[in-house]
Amino acid sequence: MVVYRYLPALKGMVLLAFILFACLPLVQMTIISFTVTLPKPSAEVGSLTLSNYASIWNNPNLRSAFVNSIAYVLINICITVPVAIPAAYAFSRMSFSGDKHLFLAFIAFRITPPVVLTLPIFQLFSALGIVNSVFGIALAHCLFNLPISIWILQGFISAVPKEMDETAFLDGYSRPRFIWKFLLPQIAPGIAVTAFFCFMFSWVEVVFARILTTTNGKPISMAINALFGFQTDISLVMAVTTASMIPGAVLLFAMRNHLSLGFRVGRV
Amino acid sequence: MKGRTEIGWLFVAPAVVILSLVGLVPLITVVNYSFFEIFILDARFWVGTEWYADIIGSGRFWASFGRSTLFSAFVLTLQIPLGIAIALCIPKRKVWVGITLAVVALPLLVPWNMIPSLWLSLLNSETGLLGRMLPYLGWPSEWQLSTRHTWAVLIVMDVWHWTSLVVILCYSALTTIPVAYYQAAAIDGASPWQMFRHIQLPKLHHVLLMAILLRFMDSFMIYTEAFPINAGGPDGTTTFLAVDLGEEIKAFNYGPSAARSVIYFMIVLTVAWMFSKAQGKLDRGERS
Repeated sequence: MVVYRYLPALKGMVLLAFILFACLPLVQMTIISFTVTLPKPSAEVGSLTLSNYASIWNNPNLRSAFVNSIAYVLINICITVPVAIPAAYAFSRMSFSGDKHLFLAFIAFRITPPVVLTLPIFQLFSALGIVNSVFGIALAHCLFNLPISIWILQGFISAVPKEMDETAFLDGYSRPRFIWKFLLPQIAPGIAVTAFFCFMFSWVEVVFARILTTTNGKPISMAINALFGFQTDISLVMAVTTASMIPGAVLLFAMRNHLSLGFRVGRV
Repeated sequence: MKGRTEIGWLFVAPAVVILSLVGLVPLITVVNYSFFEIFILDARFWVGTEWYADIIGSGRFWASFGRSTLFSAFVLTLQIPLGIAIALCIPKRKVWVGITLAVVALPLLVPWNMIPSLWLSLLNSETGLLGRMLPYLGWPSEWQLSTRHTWAVLIVMDVWHWTSLVVILCYSALTTIPVAYYQAAAIDGASPWQMFRHIQLPKLHHVLLMAILLRFMDSFMIYTEAFPINAGGPDGTTTFLAVDLGEEIKAFNYGPSAARSVIYFMIVLTVAWMFSKAQGKLDRGERS
């Protein structure tokens, strides 16, 4: 067939078109972030400027928002990954009564829209005294990050040959020690991928972040919301958004080879 | 085969505790509230299933339900094939793979509340890169008055935002296919289409099922991104299920919003159940 001869070129063009599409709004955002959009004495509207990025740096609210976001995402990863590893191991290697139902329940929680649980989570977290703190958001985000982490890690663990477990048990290792000494080094790329997914879903989430931070501990997304007002400086908004993507972009770039190595997607 | 042992519960216990705290307990609370009329949380009256009857009986609920279903249908039919296609287009050469994946994944990193702002400024008829071009293609400057155009914006926006996730998942599954499979297929003189149909697609089944589940549910319950584009308008034609719920919560209607939450969770459970059925079917198909 003649069509197939042009397949590589066609593939390249499709990919390029998609990348352009993916970048277009981001280019728009970056352009606006470098222009003056509100009339100021020092600069004309429409001229190029770096002042938006300078004002992020000089605004203590925005600075602390960045710190808060990084803090809650890190706390979330530190809760999610250690809890997800043994669970993923159990789903991958063991059979226990109700395992399938439990996995179904986990999946159900992953796809439960946060807006359904906003009210009771706010009440519960107020009672526990963890509203307006980064810890509260980190814990709430476990609702969707924990199931997805278990699901990803399970695929990685299932890819490790079962003989490894059995040899280790014959040598007298207990299960926890086996996980620590043998399994973790084997699934290290999986842990990196999992941590990245946790970061990705947690960094951009808004519903829980909004209800759990009314006075304090506001993450970046909420700090951006606070910038909207009677006369919104949209260029500052775009500058903050652009800046908010930098940590993720750095992480993504560092992670790119792990992502491209591929991972088996698991099942019970 | 897996060894049968109840020790498994010990390993999943921490996950169960956390998900009970942030998932199960709030859910039970919501179920409890849904049977009461609540003015303040200390004063409540039992109303039985009145809220449920109200919601199920209202045309507004079913209209939103229909709109959300239609939106999900559009999103899935566009994102899933596009995601597979892009994943297949990613080059084989090592250096470019990582960079391509990193660039493709960028839309996933934008805070959700900023996505509508990005698209609104992109479509701005005076300053937007697209907005300045679109009028020449017959795009009205008052597109927010038109149902069709608002829908188009919402769908394109969601495709932009989430196709990358499908791409990453599909690509990761494609890389697990041993090179020997392709070599064998090449020797047999298989066409690219045959390779896709008989080698690549079967490997994608599980990951596609998960991608469909995630994308269906998240688009069905779209909230943060959809509302600011056109405030559910024009004339309520882009009011989706979660937007309705958000309104009730903002109005502090505890009882009705709780009942609505429970109904939505029932939908979630149904979908999760269908997902596990489909997964079981795939597993059996693989074994036989």
